[in-house]
Amino acid sequence: MRRRVQLLAVLLGIALCGALLAFQGRFRGFRGEVDNDDAPLPPDWNEKTEYTFARLRYPSVRFSYRFRGNWATDYYKADRQFVQGVRRLTRIHTRSIEQVVDLDSDEIYKWPWIYAVEVGHWDLSEAQCRKLRDYLLRGGFLMVDDFHGTWEWDVFMNSMQRVLPDRPVVDLENKDALFHVLYDLEERFQVPGIQYWYSGRNYEQDGIEPRWRAIYDDKGRIMVAICHNMDLGDAWEWADHPSYPEPYASLAYRIGINYIIYAMTH
Amino acid sequence: MFEFLFKYPAAAFAKGELVLLGRWPLWLLAAGVLLAAGALAWQIRRRPATRAGAALAGLRPAAVWLLQTCLVALVLLLVWHPALSIATLKPEQNIVAVLIDDSRSMALSEEGGTRLEQAKRTLASGLLADLGRRFQVRLYRFGTSPARIEKLEQATAGAGASHIGESLKEIAAEATSLPIGAVVLLSDGADTRGGIDLETIGAIRRHRIPVHTIGFGREKFARDIELAGVETPARALPDSRLAAQVRIRQQGYARAKARLAVRESGKLVASREVVLANGEQTEAVMFQAGPAGARNLEFTIEPLAGEENLRNNAVAQLVNVEALKPRVLYLEGEPRWEFKFIRRAIEEDTGLQLVSMLRTTENKVYRQGIGDPKELEQGFPARAEELFGFQGLIIGSVESGYFTPAQQELIREFADRRGGGVLFLGGRAALAEGGYARAPFAELLPVTLPERKGTFLREETGVALAVAGRDHVVCRLEERPEKNDERWRKLPPLADHQQAGEPKPGALVLAEMKTPGGRALPLLVTQNYGHGRTAVFATGGSWRWQMLQELSDQSHELFWRQMLRWLVTGAPGTVAASTPRPVVSDESRVPLRVAVRDKAFRPVADARVQARMMGPEGAAETIELEPRAQEPGVYETQWTAEKAGSYVAEIEARRGEEQLGRDVLMVRREDGVAENFRTGQNRELLERLSAQTGGRYYRPAEAARLAKEISYSEAGITVRELRDLWDMPFVFLLALALRSTEWLLRRKWGVV
Repeated sequence: MRRRVQLLAVLLGIALCGALLAFQGRFRGFRGEVDNDDAPLPPDWNEKTEYTFARLRYPSVRFSYRFRGNWATDYYKADRQFVQGVRRLTRIHTRSIEQVVDLDSDEIYKWPWIYAVEVGHWDLSEAQCRKLRDYLLRGGFLMVDDFHGTWEWDVFMNSMQRVLPDRPVVDLENKDALFHVLYDLEERFQVPGIQYWYSGRNYEQDGIEPRWRAIYDDKGRIMVAICHNMDLGDAWEWADHPSYPEPYASLAYRIGINYIIYAMTH
Repeated sequence: MFEFLFKYPAAAFAKGELVLLGRWPLWLLAAGVLLAAGALAWQIRRRPATRAGAALAGLRPAAVWLLQTCLVALVLLLVWHPALSIATLKPEQNIVAVLIDDSRSMALSEEGGTRLEQAKRTLASGLLADLGRRFQVRLYRFGTSPARIEKLEQATAGAGASHIGESLKEIAAEATSLPIGAVVLLSDGADTRGGIDLETIGAIRRHRIPVHTIGFGREKFARDIELAGVETPARALPDSRLAAQVRIRQQGYARAKARLAVRESGKLVASREVVLANGEQTEAVMFQAGPAGARNLEFTIEPLAGEENLRNNAVAQLVNVEALKPRVLYLEGEPRWEFKFIRRAIEEDTGLQLVSMLRTTENKVYRQGIGDPKELEQGFPARAEELFGFQGLIIGSVESGYFTPAQQELIREFADRRGGGVLFLGGRAALAEGGYARAPFAELLPVTLPERKGTFLREETGVALAVAGRDHVVCRLEERPEKNDERWRKLPPLADHQQAGEPKPGALVLAEMKTPGGRALPLLVTQNYGHGRTAVFATGGSWRWQMLQELSDQSHELFWRQMLRWLVTGAPGTVAASTPRPVVSDESRVPLRVAVRDKAFRPVADARVQARMMGPEGAAETIELEPRAQEPGVYETQWTAEKAGSYVAEIEARRGEEQLGRDVLMVRREDGVAENFRTGQNRELLERLSAQTGGRYYRPAEAARLAKEISYSEAGITVRELRDLWDMPFVFLLALALRSTEWLLRRKWGVV
């Protein structure tokens, strides 16, 4: 009898460890790269959905993946707070938590919409550039955000030009479908990060003018949506903060939702 | 032997009537037989108690009684004077029409020379002279119609077709003014119309003229491959993939490999290898329709060594590739990756226009591909005129409650009345999850939906072709069937799947899903519904075929383009012209049928429908079509293509000043081709023709008997004759046999 109890306890222990490992493998495993890896999970975290906020994990110029990677800026709060809005405002069947993806495996092809933050610090390898090019040309969509000024633009372009060397970056016109697919966003303004709270400035570095840019494919569809000199991620993250101005948060949500719906329709 | 025993030929008994000429009534004969039977029975039962009497025990007395009764009955029957009443042609007053098949198939050489030479030899070796002694003989040769000839030499096997039925009808018509007593038809039975219809048989029978046939030619070739027929869609969209069903018949080449090819103006369009089966088989060959215009295609099977007839290896077919851009309306209930990737696949197809409505929020619909900003502004169409402007309809993850009851009925009518194609996709608000089972359009579904929820699962699922999908245009991602099968198996798993239920009777399962648990579920199921077609694609996750395969892989794009093209194929316009035979062989009559509908696809019975026919030499004529009484909105005519070549019919329907629509139809007449097919003797046709008209089928060796037997006919000038039967040798032999049998039995039993 005692032996049976022991055996049962061992089996339960194995099952528990397996579940924990599986759970870790799903979206964790970035200890050291992120500030808040011990976030509590919403009850429906494992629901299988149509759309998932996929955050791109990339190597940075200074830190590679190690230590606090730039890819994890605003992680996880921005992601989860933003998808609450997506769930509430649209019919998109959306997962409550994010999915971290990288360019080192083919898993990325299962997530046709990815978000990359602080790309003014990214430094993609040749293999990663090839994978991202392939991803975009197959129909994937990349939204980049939260990079400012000339220096960060140059860093961003250093990798981006290796991803899509023959395609220009163009300034988006107001009539582009991206700004009308759900919300009409002809009136846009610079969305600052949380630094606005203590600095009172909308911009960072020399990025005074917000730039809404994109890279198109041969059929005139946006593959890469570029939000330069703005910080939508912070706006999502601090939307619940009483000191962060509501108009910025609202615009950030509307832009983010438009970008998702555009990616799901074009 | 028959004639020796029964005095007259079998034909006389077949046509004559048995009568009894005795003066006494028939009941007396029956009474006499019964009386004799009774007396004999009494006599035999009263056998003396001798040794001989004791030997007649068991069944023996019954056998003796039976033999004696039969003998008495036979004698009594002769007393009543049996005779044969039969109508015979009056000598020298009747005409016998002798028809010689003059078509090219009669020039085929076999053991005894050409078939025509054999026919001439049969006639010249006494048959014609025998007939001439009793009747007036009229010689005809026939191809598409009979022509009188004086000498046998005038038949040259030069006619491009043989219309046996039509020729006989014309001869029968002559019988109204001429005493034609019988027809002798010498032919191989290779009727290029494919047979003789019941109406023609009926017309010949009305004149009561027996048609005696003499068949020539081998019934089967030892070694031959024939393209027995080709079926292709009469219309196609530019650059569509088309499937032709080719019927192949062969003798002597079972299990041999042959190459089936499709050519246009000598240029190879498609080809595939086939393994020849016993008898007849049907093989599919796929090819690209190419740009808009008439496609004159030639289907050939490459000749094999030792083939006896090479002229039946090719068949021509006409496909009208129309410069149309059908419109498909796609309603999607929620933003989905499937929606995006279907749109992307179709965007590159210049032959289709995809108009989509996507419910982005509870109250907003995002429209793409619309013709003008007002289109679909009010949501999903509520009027037939608006919805029926599309040729295809895709319903994504949309719950049935999104539609009003009128819209649900309209969707059903879209397939049923309008003849459009409806595709239902899987999704978390689709099929059983969307409550479709209770919607009026549930009838459209080619599956019976499960009666429960929880049928949509976001679990990866592998796919495989089902048997019916292997030769289907929607599923052909590779030219070679084996390679195509393999490619399907290697497709990345679907992102999700839905349990669609059981396929309905008559539905086709083209592809299946293999769940992680090993279950096979229907993935792609199709069926015809009303005038249209419907399909279920039980997933919303085929976008993985695009994202998880190499950039150069076109599986996803190809599948969806073929899917949508199939969906709209056959969806008619408001004016739809058709003909049962786009290619007429050795024939001039072309039936034309035009269905006229208004914008809501209701039949228009008061239209004026004209067809402007343009011939191969630029000649044009305009003909008026007549409304068909039994079918409102259908107009018909029969038009004559005088010469071989291609014809274009431009059809226009008007109601008053309003133009209801236009359509274009292409037809080709080709001469001298049909004779190359079915060149073996069609004995079945000749025998049936004889049997149904009261004549008889003869092999050439038996033809000498024909002169004697032909006299028995109800047609022409006849006389009814009574021919005695009492003196038939058979009667005496029977009497002798009965008596001898009894004597032999008695000897055996020792009672003589």
